Amino acid sequence: MNTLTFEANGRQLEAKQGDTVLEALRCAGISVPTLCHIEGLNPTGACRMCVVEVDGARNLVPSCSFPVAQGMKIKSNSPRVLQARRTIIELLLANHPDDCLYCGRSGRCDLQSLAQDLGVRQRRYRGLKTERDQDVSSPSIVRDPDKCVLCGKCVRICEEIQGVSAIDFIGRGSRSFVGTAFDKGLNVSSCINCGQCVVACPTGALQERSNVEDVLRALADPDVFVVAQHAPAVSVSIAEEFGLAPGADVDGLMVAALRRIGFKRVFDTSFTADLTIMEEGSELAHRVANGGVLPMMTSCSPGWIKFVETFYPEFRPNLSTCKSPQQMMGAIVKTYFAGREGLDPKKIVSVSIMPCTAKKFEAARPEMGRDSAQDVDFVLTTRELAELFRITGVDPSTLQAEAADTPFGERSSAGKLFGATGGVMEAAVRSVHFLLTGRELEDPTIAAARGLDGSKELHVRVGDLEVGAVVVSSLGQARKLLEEIKADGRKDIHFIEVMTCPGGCINGGGQPIGAAKDAVMARMKALYTIDRNAPLRLSHRNASVQRLYDEFLGKPLGEKSHHLLHTHYQERDVMA
Amino acid sequence: MNRFLHVTDLEKHREALIAAFDPNRTRITLCGGTGCNAQGSIKLVDALKAAVAKHGLSETVDVKVTGCHGFCEKGPVVVIRPANTFYIQVKAEDADELVRVTLKENAVVDRLLYTDPGSGRTILREQDVPFYAKQTRVILAENGHLDPTSIDDYILRGGYSALGKALGSMTPDGVIAEVKKAGLRGRGGAGFSTGTKWELCRKQPGEQKYVICNADEGDPGAYMNRSEIEGNPHLILEGMIVGAYAIGASKAVIYCRAEYPLAIAQLTRGIAQAKERGLLGDDILGSGFSLDIVIKQGAGAFVCGEETALMHSIEGKRGMPTPRPPFPAQSGVFGMPSNINNVETWANVPLIINRGADWFAGIGSEKSKGTKVFSLVGCVNNTGLVEVPFGTSLRTIIEDIGGGTPRGRKFKAAQMGGPSGGCIPAAYIDTPVDYESVQSLGAIVGSGGLVVMDDSTCMVDLAKYFMEFIQSESCGKCIPCREGTRRMKEILDTLTRPRRKEHDIDALLRMQGLMHLKDLAETIKSTALCGLGQTAPNPVLSTLRFFRDEYEAHLYERRCPAGSCKELVGAPCQNGCPVGTEVWRYVAHVGRGEYADAYRVIRDANPFPSACARVCHHPCERSCRAGASGSGEPIAIRTLKRFVVDQVAPTAYRPKIRPSGPHSSTIAVVGGGPAGLTAAHCLSLLGHKVTVFEREAKPGGMLVGAIPAYRLPRERLEAEIASLLNENMEIKLNAALGRDFTVDGLLAEGYKAVYLAIGSHQSKMLDLPNEDAHGILPGISFLKAYNLHGDHLAKGRVGVIGGGNSAMDAARVAFRQDGVENVTMYYRRTRDEMPAYAEEIEAGLAEGISIQELVAPVAVNSKDGRLTGMRFVRNRLSEPDASGRRKPEPIPGSEFEVELDTLIVAISEGPEMAQLEGLSLTKWGTLAANPESFLTSRKGVFAGGDVTTGPSTVIGAIAAGKQAAVMIDRFVTGKLLKIVPKVKLPSVFIEPAGDLEDESTAQPAARVTVPHLPVERRTRNFDEVELCVSEAAACGEARRCMRCDLEFTQPV
Repeated sequence: MNTLTFEANGRQLEAKQGDTVLEALRCAGISVPTLCHIEGLNPTGACRMCVVEVDGARNLVPSCSFPVAQGMKIKSNSPRVLQARRTIIELLLANHPDDCLYCGRSGRCDLQSLAQDLGVRQRRYRGLKTERDQDVSSPSIVRDPDKCVLCGKCVRICEEIQGVSAIDFIGRGSRSFVGTAFDKGLNVSSCINCGQCVVACPTGALQERSNVEDVLRALADPDVFVVAQHAPAVSVSIAEEFGLAPGADVDGLMVAALRRIGFKRVFDTSFTADLTIMEEGSELAHRVANGGVLPMMTSCSPGWIKFVETFYPEFRPNLSTCKSPQQMMGAIVKTYFAGREGLDPKKIVSVSIMPCTAKKFEAARPEMGRDSAQDVDFVLTTRELAELFRITGVDPSTLQAEAADTPFGERSSAGKLFGATGGVMEAAVRSVHFLLTGRELEDPTIAAARGLDGSKELHVRVGDLEVGAVVVSSLGQARKLLEEIKADGRKDIHFIEVMTCPGGCINGGGQPIGAAKDAVMARMKALYTIDRNAPLRLSHRNASVQRLYDEFLGKPLGEKSHHLLHTHYQERDVMA
Repeated sequence: MNRFLHVTDLEKHREALIAAFDPNRTRITLCGGTGCNAQGSIKLVDALKAAVAKHGLSETVDVKVTGCHGFCEKGPVVVIRPANTFYIQVKAEDADELVRVTLKENAVVDRLLYTDPGSGRTILREQDVPFYAKQTRVILAENGHLDPTSIDDYILRGGYSALGKALGSMTPDGVIAEVKKAGLRGRGGAGFSTGTKWELCRKQPGEQKYVICNADEGDPGAYMNRSEIEGNPHLILEGMIVGAYAIGASKAVIYCRAEYPLAIAQLTRGIAQAKERGLLGDDILGSGFSLDIVIKQGAGAFVCGEETALMHSIEGKRGMPTPRPPFPAQSGVFGMPSNINNVETWANVPLIINRGADWFAGIGSEKSKGTKVFSLVGCVNNTGLVEVPFGTSLRTIIEDIGGGTPRGRKFKAAQMGGPSGGCIPAAYIDTPVDYESVQSLGAIVGSGGLVVMDDSTCMVDLAKYFMEFIQSESCGKCIPCREGTRRMKEILDTLTRPRRKEHDIDALLRMQGLMHLKDLAETIKSTALCGLGQTAPNPVLSTLRFFRDEYEAHLYERRCPAGSCKELVGAPCQNGCPVGTEVWRYVAHVGRGEYADAYRVIRDANPFPSACARVCHHPCERSCRAGASGSGEPIAIRTLKRFVVDQVAPTAYRPKIRPSGPHSSTIAVVGGGPAGLTAAHCLSLLGHKVTVFEREAKPGGMLVGAIPAYRLPRERLEAEIASLLNENMEIKLNAALGRDFTVDGLLAEGYKAVYLAIGSHQSKMLDLPNEDAHGILPGISFLKAYNLHGDHLAKGRVGVIGGGNSAMDAARVAFRQDGVENVTMYYRRTRDEMPAYAEEIEAGLAEGISIQELVAPVAVNSKDGRLTGMRFVRNRLSEPDASGRRKPEPIPGSEFEVELDTLIVAISEGPEMAQLEGLSLTKWGTLAANPESFLTSRKGVFAGGDVTTGPSTVIGAIAAGKQAAVMIDRFVTGKLLKIVPKVKLPSVFIEPAGDLEDESTAQPAARVTVPHLPVERRTRNFDEVELCVSEAAACGEARRCMRCDLEFTQPV
């Protein structure tokens, strides 16, 4: 690797050849503000916040896109630079609603903190502000164009990471805005509700559709029985909302807190993850044995499901018919659990806590319920749960850890692994190996499935069969894989795990704002630690799952499972 | 169609075409460009063909549709070649006559010929039309000759020989070297060296390279690229093929806006033809070099002229720029090395290859080589496409080729380079137009848009227009451009918007806005992502640089000097009037037959309606919007005023007088002219006791002393002055300052304020020896002697020196005196430059006065102290100076003698100094007074009118009197001598007269003509010359008014 020397603010510094000025400065510990920069994507140069003065250049230079060069002389905080940055912020503020006090992103807003950091203290520019209607059509995401600074991060995430391109810039000049095709609601667009745009958004222009008020109302209603389930990735990320370091697992504290605010039962979605493995593993074994459609693709990530329905309907037969763990839990809570407890299913309010905005959409799918009631009534994201705790004055960190409720509180760590990319694969391989061979793996850790890489491939010997499996996260990666399959078949692959969000649920669209790559990594490692230390690491060894089959479901892929745990997929034509 | 397999095939084909071509065959060429099509040339083609057939000329005459001839102002243009007979504005109905007369009868259709507005002569041949004569047409050379739909026509005229030469005998590096040596620079705006750009792309690794033609012309008012493509598509294609060969590209894209359907059609056809002939496609001319050209239609976004945005648009993405690096040469369209040049740059390439780099480098200026096509539009007589060598002065382009600004208005500035460019003010009209010179003035050559603006253009408004354009054409990607341009536009909006209820805070905000404007502009310039944004503030920076005073007038005085910002101007006529007469209002009353109301409106603003109805220089008419649009004839406002004052006696108006009280003071007004009487009258209405001291035996000042009775009948003036008097105001006649009283004395007597309005009565003399000879008379003395005392001082042969209204009055008065044989005026410039009113000059000439132009007196001939004659020298006009004015210069050896009995010197006047002792004077020798407060250097002493300004207009003196009265009142009542300027907008709704619906379909009426007393009935008497129009004529004229006021008023 070649290094070069350059000068920044009078200091001699070293940089890697090929780095941008921004990378070089940040490496040297010089902070440079950005609004539109996304690590790992090509710079777009839209916000101009990162401008610096470079000797010899007539204009200020955007550091995000300008390569550092040998001998370059840079000023990153000269009066000219600061004036320019401040003017840019002032211009944005001049077109921004003055409602920080009411904004859901207050305190976590890049625009707000940049304005503070740059010392913007007076209103030099005023005039007309852009006024456009909010888009509240989506069950997952609310768009408020008035708060949009048009940094384009959402557009790029949607296009370049997710390959969905549901939104883009419309119009020109000061009348330009971000919108869907034909400027219709997000609900009728190709949006797959992943919420990556929400996490990327520097302001409150994109936020989840909140169900906090609904849940508060349910909790206050003495006539209903409010049940919670929490997804594997929530317990390793929510701590960040309370100022703890990323990666702290607060499972027990969270359970305790949920009980404090009135949830009658707190179940662990990892339990139904184990159940999913039983169903999905059996389905895979069945397909392999009976010449079914292969490769089989996981179905637990709802954004991915809508993606297939929208963009690749021809792959619907490849999708596992299993419902996601959330919906499996929803279904058995309102059937088996209701029966066991003698509760009227209509009096049960089922709340799931998810790292995901697409889960809100999934819960609302018409096929996900019975007797005109949904299996899952409300979905809260990790962020909303934190808000709920704050509203109700419950601080999990002050509590004693508690265990989840039976019968759906027991889980294997394989189910917990669902929270990271490759987790489903790892859990499935452990169980499928047993289902097909009757023997356990010697080492249940499947290293090839682990890590944050967007695409991982593994081949596992299961008895006579060489099982080919691919793990992808982000729909951009999924799209690439599907195109490959369409092109040459990839006959060697039997099983594909797809997670909508890059890195899986630990980096979901409902997770705390402002997480850097390190934080996501920490969340992932927390899951691996849980697995390493767990007494129960195999889904098929979950006794509660076995009991559920014995008492209620019968057997995997049986009649009851078919009705409660499996579903079907529809083709979606957004242009229709 | 045979395909050329080798260069020799092409040349053989060319030889065959030349052999078959008869250069003497008659060809009717007419412009089929978009401009002329819009003016009817499509119909004209058929009509001409039919006429040719009808007259049996089909065998010998061709009708040929060519590209744009450039003279769009006069389109459709028809040229009969080879004689080059030049017809303009030809309609389909003219076709038959044109063909019959020109081709059968060998004569000329005079009415279709071009008339030179300068000389009034008609011009027969195309090459003699000044518009063409001063151009150097290289790019556009073939535009009036070539059939753009025929590749053979192009080949016949030398087309594709550059391609043959390049492929046959030059290496790609050789081509690049030639282009570099020629010094060709990009014609799209930035002016980067084309050869260097090609070289950069050539050196890039990569199998697949692209060349791109930027035909996304988007500057407002610019259409050179469109015409270049429409008129000669193969020239651009050939340039691109040669360029692609040099760069090593195998794919080419022409990015053309979809609004150019004709250009796209010509290109599409051209590409097909070239492919068919093996000039494009695989293995071009057997050289092994292959190129495919495709056309990409753009939806018409200004930002897509920016290279990276353009490339994204080609890729099918939204046209938004991306940061560089990577540069297009490294990673351009579809990630491949790409080279983009403008249409005109490509068009230059074949010319350079054909004629050589040395030929090309021989045209133009030191650093800017070759020619440039400009689209000359705006306030210029000959709009159209103009091609000149770099280094040609802006003056040549605007005045010689463009024919100057229309309607006698003054050239103010030229906007170059569209919204990204800047304006070049009149003072820099002699700037040579090349990349560096233009840039040093804050503008850019750009793609060649050249918008000419005259003095009716407001530069703040212009900046606002461009900011509006930019803020809606910005792609919206980067924040400074998207948000900043919008705020800049809003700041400009506040400058041009009145506030009905002006609060201090509003003024403060406006002031703040202007303070931030420059900061904001600089930030946008240095931080915006692409060229569009970086140049977006230019219109503001450029106008701020050269026209700061206009910004300040808008800011501090709430005034638009150009009379253009609607909301500061209200009705332009009212805005143009120095005393703010609600012209629109009385004109509307006249239209409705309400003459008393009309008189009241006039009199409310102006105490001298009868005088102004006759002698006012009517600036209102100059501002009239009817004069700036359509037929260009302003409403005859003064004529309507004359009609009103002839209908209504001055006594009909009874102004309200505030009774005397504690606020009342005694005030002395020195001078009984329009300035003094107006001030006195206005002060008397406020309840002050005013005494007017007048030196002469009659009040009226210059109105009675200098203006002759045939222009302003005495009884009218006397009645008007009498109507101004009231119980608070008296006039002391025969009381002269310095002789009968002094300023000190007045103040000592208890007058609280003194207003000096003694005028400029001292004629300036020639400063020649023997000037005191008997028979030489100062102009004002001569006029006063007759007007006030009836003395006939002129005798025999009379000469008058001067060209102003006083000189004209003196000449016409002299002509009416007994014992005068003839009267000749001697003026140092030409008649066109004479400051006297055109109608006065006209009337004088009609009466028999002669004018000698371009002469200056050099000696007085006298004998025994008595004038015998004068010695004059002839002048010529110099080249224009920085202000555009041509100075008279004596022609050596051209002196001549004239015998004269009387010489009246009426070159200028100044105040009589003796009376102003103790007061500060200006450097021009006039009395110094604060322009806002009218206060002189002495407390309590105010001054206004000609004594402060030198000889000026009547309405100017009245305005000075009115404003001084306000200030004197504030002074004596102890108020600050400052008033906040208020915008006067029409506020009274007057129902339009007549049936509006009928008017919309009726033919626009012509301006009323004013009847004059026949010459034979007026030459030797002082009867009023200008007569009143009839009631019907007055009403008709009044109803011609466009009623600009209705924009501001609401029906009640």
